[in-house]
Amino acid sequence: MSSSRLSCKRTKRGCPTSPLFGQVLAPASSRRCDLTARELPRNAKTCRTIVGRVPREAQRNKKPDIRLDIRLQDFQARLKTYTRHRITIRSLTALLLLLTALSGSQAQDNADSVLTSDLETSLAPAALPPAPVTELKAFDSKNDHGHSVTLNWRLSPDDGAGKNIVFAYEVYRWVPFFMDSLKSVREKLSQTESAIAELEVFEPPAKHLLNMHREGKPGKGFADSVKFYEDTLAASKRLLPEYRQQVDRLRDERDEGIDRIPSAHTSYPSEGEWRKVGTVVAGESRFENVGVKDKESADYLADNTPYYYRVDAVTVNPAVRSQSDVVGPVRSSGQWFNTGRVPVFVAVMVFGFLTVYFITRAKRGIDLYVRPLAGIDAVDDAIGRATEMGKPILYVLGLGTAADIATIASFTILGRVARRVAEYQTQLIVPCYDPIVMTVAQETVKAGFSDAGRPEAYNEDIVYFVTQSQFAYVAAVNGVMLRQLPATNVYMGRFYAESLILAETGALAGSIQIAGTDEIAQIPFFIVACDFTLIGEELYAASAYLGREPLLLGSLKAQDYAKAAVIALATAGIVAANLDWTWFTTLFRVSR
Amino acid sequence: MRRQIPLALVMIFGIFMIFQYFVPHESSEWVYEFLLDWIYIIGIFALALGIWSLIRVSVEKIHSRKSGWGYPIITLAGLFLMILFGFIGRRDGVWGLYFMTAEGLSNPMFRHFFDYILIPIQSTMFALLAFFIASAAYRAFRARNILASLLLIAALIVMLRFNPYMGPIGPYVADTASWLLNVPNLAAKRAIIIGIGLGIVATALKVILGIERGYMGKG
Amino acid sequence: MRRSTYYAVGIVTALFLLSWLLRGWSLADERPDSYLRAFLVTVSAFLTLAIFSFLYKDNPFYKFAEHLFVGVSAAYWMCLGFWSTIVGNLFPRLSEEVSVFFKQPYQPGAYNIFYWTPVILGLFLLMRLSPKAGWLSRWPLAFIVGTTAGLNFIRYLRSDFIVQVSSTFVPLLGREPFQWQGIGDFLANFDLSATGQFAVLLTNWIIFVGVLCGLIYFFFSREHTGAFGAASRIGIWVLMITFGASFGYTVMGRISLLVGRLTFLFRDWLGWIT
Repeated sequence: MSSSRLSCKRTKRGCPTSPLFGQVLAPASSRRCDLTARELPRNAKTCRTIVGRVPREAQRNKKPDIRLDIRLQDFQARLKTYTRHRITIRSLTALLLLLTALSGSQAQDNADSVLTSDLETSLAPAALPPAPVTELKAFDSKNDHGHSVTLNWRLSPDDGAGKNIVFAYEVYRWVPFFMDSLKSVREKLSQTESAIAELEVFEPPAKHLLNMHREGKPGKGFADSVKFYEDTLAASKRLLPEYRQQVDRLRDERDEGIDRIPSAHTSYPSEGEWRKVGTVVAGESRFENVGVKDKESADYLADNTPYYYRVDAVTVNPAVRSQSDVVGPVRSSGQWFNTGRVPVFVAVMVFGFLTVYFITRAKRGIDLYVRPLAGIDAVDDAIGRATEMGKPILYVLGLGTAADIATIASFTILGRVARRVAEYQTQLIVPCYDPIVMTVAQETVKAGFSDAGRPEAYNEDIVYFVTQSQFAYVAAVNGVMLRQLPATNVYMGRFYAESLILAETGALAGSIQIAGTDEIAQIPFFIVACDFTLIGEELYAASAYLGREPLLLGSLKAQDYAKAAVIALATAGIVAANLDWTWFTTLFRVSR
Repeated sequence: MRRQIPLALVMIFGIFMIFQYFVPHESSEWVYEFLLDWIYIIGIFALALGIWSLIRVSVEKIHSRKSGWGYPIITLAGLFLMILFGFIGRRDGVWGLYFMTAEGLSNPMFRHFFDYILIPIQSTMFALLAFFIASAAYRAFRARNILASLLLIAALIVMLRFNPYMGPIGPYVADTASWLLNVPNLAAKRAIIIGIGLGIVATALKVILGIERGYMGKG
Repeated sequence: MRRSTYYAVGIVTALFLLSWLLRGWSLADERPDSYLRAFLVTVSAFLTLAIFSFLYKDNPFYKFAEHLFVGVSAAYWMCLGFWSTIVGNLFPRLSEEVSVFFKQPYQPGAYNIFYWTPVILGLFLLMRLSPKAGWLSRWPLAFIVGTTAGLNFIRYLRSDFIVQVSSTFVPLLGREPFQWQGIGDFLANFDLSATGQFAVLLTNWIIFVGVLCGLIYFFFSREHTGAFGAASRIGIWVLMITFGASFGYTVMGRISLLVGRLTFLFRDWLGWIT
C-alpha cells in the first residue's frame, strides 16, 4: 500500500514533501508534512525528523526554520544517491503518459502500477542483513504499579549510518506454550458467559409469546413456529445450569492458570517460543512492554515472572533481519514510592510545615493582621437588613458536592450566617442541589442555631433538597427568589452556567447579593450582577475572616508565604530560563 | 466520642489519600479505587435522603394550604410517575424490572418524559441565559467606578471583535480583542488559579487536621 | 387564584389543544402516529413557552413547569443512580442471586466482602432520620470529606501550584523565534509590528508582571499600601480586564442557545419553517 502512494498521481499534484522528486521542504503554505516513515523505508529516520508541524513563526515570517534546514541539508545529501532513479522515473513517466494518451483510460493506473513496481525494484534493500542492536538491557519499569518491563539498546550501526537499511526494531518476548492453553480457557469462559446472557434475555419474551399463542392471541412479531420456541426454551432450561457449572469450572481453571504463569516461564528456553510484543521505528532505542494489571484480561502481564527478551533489527524486507542477544530473566514489580513526584512531596511537606507553624504561632496569641474584605463585612450588614425588613435570607451552596473544597468553605460561612440569623431571629432558606451537601448543611445550620443559644428555632424546612438537575434546581431557586422575596441572597460555592440566571433574577427581585466562587468563568457574571463578590481565593479566606479564630487565620498567613514563594520561584525561574539553567526548570517537573 | 471518631476518620482517610499519590504500587491503587467506588455508593443512599426531604417538604406545603399549595402536587406526581417508569418496563410484552438494555432506557414513557419534558425545560432554562446576559450587559454599562469601567471596556472590545460595521477601526478592535484574550487573560487566570489552588490546599489541610470542622455540626 | 387566572389558564389550554389537533392533522399524511407525536411536541412547546413566560413575571404556567421539572428530574437522577451504581456496580459484587435477579453478570472476587462497607455507611447515613442514632450519619460524611480532602489537597497542589508556577518560567529576554543578541542588535532590528521582537518581549513581560500583581492582590495578611498597594491595584485592574474579556467572549455563545429554542418552536412545533 505504501508503494502505491509513491506513484505518479502524487507527482502530478506536486507532492511537496516527497524527497523522491527533490522538493523536500514543506512550503510555507503547507503546515504539515505528511510523509511517513513507511513511504521511504531507507530513510525512515530522516523522514521522521521532518514529519511534524512546521513552526508557526517560520510560516509567518516566511523564513525557513534553521533547524529544519540543517536536517534538510543532511537529507538532501542522502538523496543525491537517488538522483539516478529519479531520472529513470521521470523519463518512464513521460513515456507512460504518452502511452496513456494513445491507448485509453486505464493507462494512468497501469502507469502507476508499473512505476510502483519499478520503484520497489529500484529501492529494494540489499540482501545482507543489518548489524544487530547491541547492549540490550531489560529492567522493571520505574515508578509504576508493576506489569511493565522497559528495554533499551544501542542502535544498529546500520540505522542512520553504515548501510542505513534498518527500517524498524521488533521486540520479542519468550512465551511458554502454556500461555496458549490459558488463552483458550479465557476464550471459552467469555463465550460461555455470553451464551448464558443470551439465554437469560431470550427466556421471558419466549415464554410470553408461547402463553399468548396458547391463549389464542398471536402477539406482535410472533413467529409461526411454536415448536421452535418450545424447543429453545427446553434447551435453555437444560443448558443454563450446565453452562453455569461450566463457568465456575472455567473460572477456577483460569485462576489456577494465572497462578502458574511465573513457574511456566522458568522452563526457558524449552516449551515455548519467541513472540513479537511490539515494534518501534528506526532511530528509537527504547521500548516499554506494558501489560495490564487486570488478571482477567488477555493483556495481563504477571509480576515476579522471569521474562526473556530480544530485539530484531529489520529491513524493509521482513526476511532480512538480525537478532540481538537474549536478555533476561527480568521481573516486573510495583514500587512503593514514585520518585518522579518528589517535587509534589516537597511541596506537601513545606506547605504542611508552614500551616502548622503559623497555626501554632496564632495559638500563642500573636496578633495577625488581616486586610478587610468588602464582601465579608457585607454579610453582617445584610443579615441586619433582612431582620429590619422582616424578610428571609437565601443561602445557595451552588452545584458543588461535599467533595468540593469550595463547598466545604461555604459550609463554614453558612455556619456563621446561621448563627447570626438565629441571633437576629431572621428566617433562613437553604435549597440544596446535592443530597450529601443537604445533610451536611443541616448539621451546620443546626450547630449555628445551637451556638446562638436558640436550638429550638431550627426546623428541618430551613435546609431542603430540590433536585440533582442543574436547571431544575435553578428554576426552583428562581421561584423562591420571586415568591419569598429574600432581602439578601448569598451565593457561595461552586457555580456553573446557572450563576448568571440566579444572580440576575436576584438583582431583578431587588435583593442585596453577595457571591463567592472559585469557578473562574463565572466570576464576571457575579461581579456584574451582585453587590459584593469574593474572587477565587477570597472565598477560602472568607471562612477564616468570619470566624476570626487564630487557628483559621494562621493558615491565611501560610497561604501568603506560599504566594511569596511563588513570586520568588517565578522570578528565579525566569532568570534560569534566560540563562538556560535547565536543571532548575527540571526541578519542577512532575511525572504523571 | 460522637465527634472524635468522625474527626479521626477524616484524618485517616485524608492522610491516606495524600500518601497514596506517591505510592504507585498496585495495593495502593487497589485501595484508592475501592474508596472511590464507596463514595459513589454512599451517594446513592444520600439521594434517598434527598428524595425523602423533597417529599416531606412538598407534603408539608400541601398540608399547610398556604398560597400555591397545589403546585407541590405536580412535583410529587412527576416524581412518582418517573420513578414508576424508571423501575417497571414492558419488554416484548412482559412486565418486569427493566431499565438498562442495549437500546438504552427501556420504558417508552421514561424516554418520553425525558425527551419531551426534561430536555425542553432544561434547554429553555439554558436559553434564558441569552436574555439574562443582555440585562447583565446593561447593568455593566452603568460603570460605577474605575474597576467596573475597565470591565465594561474590555467586554465591549471583545464583543465587537467580529462586528462588520466597525469600518476602518475593525481590524484594530479585532487585534486588541485577541490580545486581551491572550495576554492579560493568561496572566490573570494564572494568578487566580495559583490563589485558588493555595486556598483549596490550605482548606483541605485544615479539614484533614480537624481545624476546620464547620461541616461536622455539633453534639 | 383570581378569576382572571382561571380564564387565562382556560384560554391557553384551549389554544394548545387546538395547536395539537392542527399539528396532528397536518402530520397525518406523513406518520401513522401523528397525533401522539403532535401531542408530545405540543407539550414540549407548552413547557418551553411556560419557562420563557418567566421573563415577564412569575405566573402559574412557570410555576407548573418548575414544579413538574423538579419532580421529574429528581426521579430521573434517582433511577439513573440506582440502576447504574447500585444495580450495575454494587449488586454484582454482593450476591449472585441478586445480580441474576437484576440480570447483571455476577462479578465474583476475593475482596468483594469490602463492598459491604459502603452499604453499612450508607445505612448509617439513613440513620439521620432517627432522632437517637442520627449521630451515626457523621461517619459516612467524615469518610467522604476526608477522602476527597486528601484527594483535592494533592490534586490542586500539583495542578494549580507546581504546574502553574513552572509554566511562568519563560525567558523574558530571548524566546523563539528571537534570540536575544544584546541591546545593539535589538535596537538595530527594532520593529513595532505584532510579530516583531519588541511585541513578543512586551507580551512576556506583561504576562509576568500581571501574574505577580495578581498574586499580590490576593495577599491577605499585609496592608495594601505603598508600592505593595500599587502592585495590588494593578493586579485588580488586570483581573477586571480579564473578567470583562471573559464576559464579552461568552455573550455570543449564549445567544446561540436562544436560537436553538426558537428553531424548535417555529420548526418542530408550528412547522412555519423547514
